[in-house]
Amino acid sequence: MKLGDARSGKLRDNITGFGRALRRAGVPVDSSRIAMAIEAIELVGIERKDDLHAALRAVLVSRQQDLEVFDQLFDALFRNPELAQQLLAQMLPKVRQAEAPKRKARVQEALAAARAPKEGPRKESEIQLDAAMTASDQQRLRHADFATLNASEFRLIERLVRDVPLPLPPVRGRRTRAGVRGQRPHWAAAMQQARRFEGELLWLPKRARRPQALPLLVLVDVSGSMERYARLLLAFLHNATQGRPRAAFAFGTDLTDLRPAFRQRDTDHMLDMANAAIADFAGGTRLGASLATLRERHARTLVGRRTVVVLISDGLDTGEPDALNSEVLWLKRHCRQLLWLNPLLRFDGYAPLASGAKVLHEHADGMLAVHNLSRLEDLAQAMARLMQR
Amino acid sequence: MVEPVSGFATIDELTHALKGVGYHAPRQLATSVFLAMKLQRPLLLEGEPGVGKTELAKALSKVLARPMLRLQCYDGMEQREALYEWNHTAQLLHMRAAQDTVTADEIEREVYQPRYLIRRPLLQALQAPAPGAVLLIDEVDRADEPFEAFLLEYLGEYQVTIPELGTIKAEAAPITILTSNRTRDLNDAVKRRCLYQWMDYPERERELAIVQSQVPEAGPALTEQITQFVSRLRSMPFANAFQRSPGIAESVEWAKALVALDTLTLDPEVVQDTAGILFKQREDVAALIPLIDELLQPEPA
Repeated sequence: MKLGDARSGKLRDNITGFGRALRRAGVPVDSSRIAMAIEAIELVGIERKDDLHAALRAVLVSRQQDLEVFDQLFDALFRNPELAQQLLAQMLPKVRQAEAPKRKARVQEALAAARAPKEGPRKESEIQLDAAMTASDQQRLRHADFATLNASEFRLIERLVRDVPLPLPPVRGRRTRAGVRGQRPHWAAAMQQARRFEGELLWLPKRARRPQALPLLVLVDVSGSMERYARLLLAFLHNATQGRPRAAFAFGTDLTDLRPAFRQRDTDHMLDMANAAIADFAGGTRLGASLATLRERHARTLVGRRTVVVLISDGLDTGEPDALNSEVLWLKRHCRQLLWLNPLLRFDGYAPLASGAKVLHEHADGMLAVHNLSRLEDLAQAMARLMQR
Repeated sequence: MVEPVSGFATIDELTHALKGVGYHAPRQLATSVFLAMKLQRPLLLEGEPGVGKTELAKALSKVLARPMLRLQCYDGMEQREALYEWNHTAQLLHMRAAQDTVTADEIEREVYQPRYLIRRPLLQALQAPAPGAVLLIDEVDRADEPFEAFLLEYLGEYQVTIPELGTIKAEAAPITILTSNRTRDLNDAVKRRCLYQWMDYPERERELAIVQSQVPEAGPALTEQITQFVSRLRSMPFANAFQRSPGIAESVEWAKALVALDTLTLDPEVVQDTAGILFKQREDVAALIPLIDELLQPEPA
């Protein structure tokens, strides 16, 4: 692409086009940025391609993950505009056949209930979460759709969220506000008081530390044996922790980022997105490798050492126990508390014999049974109790 | 706002001047700095620890002969630590002293004078006389989100509002450098107000030049060995073995330590003894030891 003379307006068009191309490729570029880019080009000149490149990059990109896209697009556009078109076409999401909007399971059930039922009642309409482990059930669950809650489950969750708030305790943050039992004097308030009483200070107002919600990191095992629990726990946690800082990841053979899904308000939407995102449903579990990925790519989701990590897994790990050990230790060192929710605890005389379970048992700050989701109250209370420590 | 922030007409001039104070900036970085000065925009530097983000601000303050003001961010930082605070004790004393002679209104006017203002780095930077200051907002990712929101007015307009005194606008826009180690993502609103530069580990020649200029005593042979060793450490497949690769700062420290130990060439023993300078984690030091021999082998041509 020839840039042309800065005064002729050709440059302006080209930069604008480039900005739009970036936007189409998913890089957030607004028009003020494009205006600034034109200004920047006028400053550095167009004699050197590398300066042009650096200038545009400094102005138009603001995330490390976009740098690669920028570089490729820059090369393509300023060498061969046609190539750029192809490249863009590849980067754009494939146009999907418009599908008729699928009704959610709970809507479908609601509609179906109005008609006379032809068969017997569906097995799933009864809450039999505890019976997830028989062989035939496992087979069924493997093919169960993770994405939608059926009506009874939804009612369960709704009721639990209403009746069972998850009372995660706040901690005292570093920021302060006026308070009665603070440690530091609140001089500004003292001044106001002195102004009112002719320079007299009758008592000394204090600053107290402001309570702060603990950030939550949910790591959920989506291997075959965990699927059913994972779904309901995700739904519960998604609902019960609205409005506090949180992040969620799923792991099976690989780690999946569920944060975009968790940003949805509607729990069904969240499950939909999670379902689409998780590629390794009902595969094996490689807990160690997944935690390593978490450390390498997402270590910054752990806020200071304040984050409470909730690890939902049965500990039936197929990876290396040594690797798992060091990863769990790392995680424990970087969080405030590591809670392990384990469905296998329901069996009497359960002992953490599997290698993965042994490691988790050794390092987790607390271990809770999640086998009986209909009594989620107990879980919520136990979690809150553990975190209070 | 008074004009000139930059004394440099071209990127080359800037690069050269930075080199003069021992900072070897790659062209891309120099371009960003040049633009940040010309466009009067803050520059956000992201990258691993120890790649020279903070050093850049120091070097700029030297070549421009401007004072450097540094705001070190931390979790829970509040406006009064960053911007200003009233000297309440002095105010109270003044109040008591003046109580009998003047009216309450007058006292109030008197105690909210700039002389009772304790200026913190951000305000100092705004009020620095021309040509202005270099302001370093270091590790902004450590501060929390409310603090970021507070920074927006400052970063966008180079002004702040103090209720008792009104809006204070910069006489000369400070050259503002923000650094982040990416312990968390910054707010988009902050990023939108800044130019952005990702800083990578240096190329080998650049690191060689840096170590040479910072630790000239090391001599060319040892310097060459050090930079080769470190750059191989950071490259595949070795880098995967460690949780964190050493930065430039570590290479320089290492060179200094080796000089202090009278080392002439690297050998497995000396590397093992000084591994604690390159890596700050026990696991990483342990991971290094079995790799030393392989790392010390001459590179295949």
